[in-house]
Amino acid sequence: MADAELKQKVEELIAANPVLLFMKGTPEAPRCGFSMRVVQVLDSIDVEYGAIDVLPALQPLREVTSEISDWQTFPQLYVNGELLGGADIVEEMFDSGELAEALGVEQPEAAPAAASSAPAANATPAQSPPLQIE
Amino acid sequence: MAADLGEIERMIEAALPGASVEVVDETGTGDHLRATVTAPQFEDLTRIAQHRLVKAAVSERFDDGTIHALSVKTTVP
Repeated sequence: MADAELKQKVEELIAANPVLLFMKGTPEAPRCGFSMRVVQVLDSIDVEYGAIDVLPALQPLREVTSEISDWQTFPQLYVNGELLGGADIVEEMFDSGELAEALGVEQPEAAPAAASSAPAANATPAQSPPLQIE
Repeated sequence: MAADLGEIERMIEAALPGASVEVVDETGTGDHLRATVTAPQFEDLTRIAQHRLVKAAVSERFDDGTIHALSVKTTVP
């Protein structure tokens, strides 16, 4: 059973951020390869997104997302309030152009692998909404 | 403990009758697997819903620690 207060906070964050990434580490310093792959995809698309580091409260957040979206592993990308997927799905949808479509942006011409070799240049600064976890 | 790839395939096939399933050991350590699944049940489902079906089929092996990671690739036949 997930912590009710944390669950409510997470639901509010998902509702308040059209594009929200739950990840291990931060966009600047991902602490897991799967999280890094999603950050690279998002950075190669011109989209603003919120990012939440799940590591400080990994187990409680697993329980929360388990109840909200029936999904326990991170990263998790939420678009317009719905869980779109983790690294596999995000990359697959990026490659097919479905991700850009879901985000309402233009598909960039460079592939994510190429974009990731020059990360900092025009990367959109990610906003990390404050998520205080006791 | 390394996962039995054949068993993982059978678990997915049992959950999704008619599916074509291939499971490979991605890292050679037996606990990071990749499953490629084509199943008629995926029709009209979002990708996340398709992945949920596959992960649910093998949840027992996640719970007992046999598998640490399962990459999933789904297609509709």
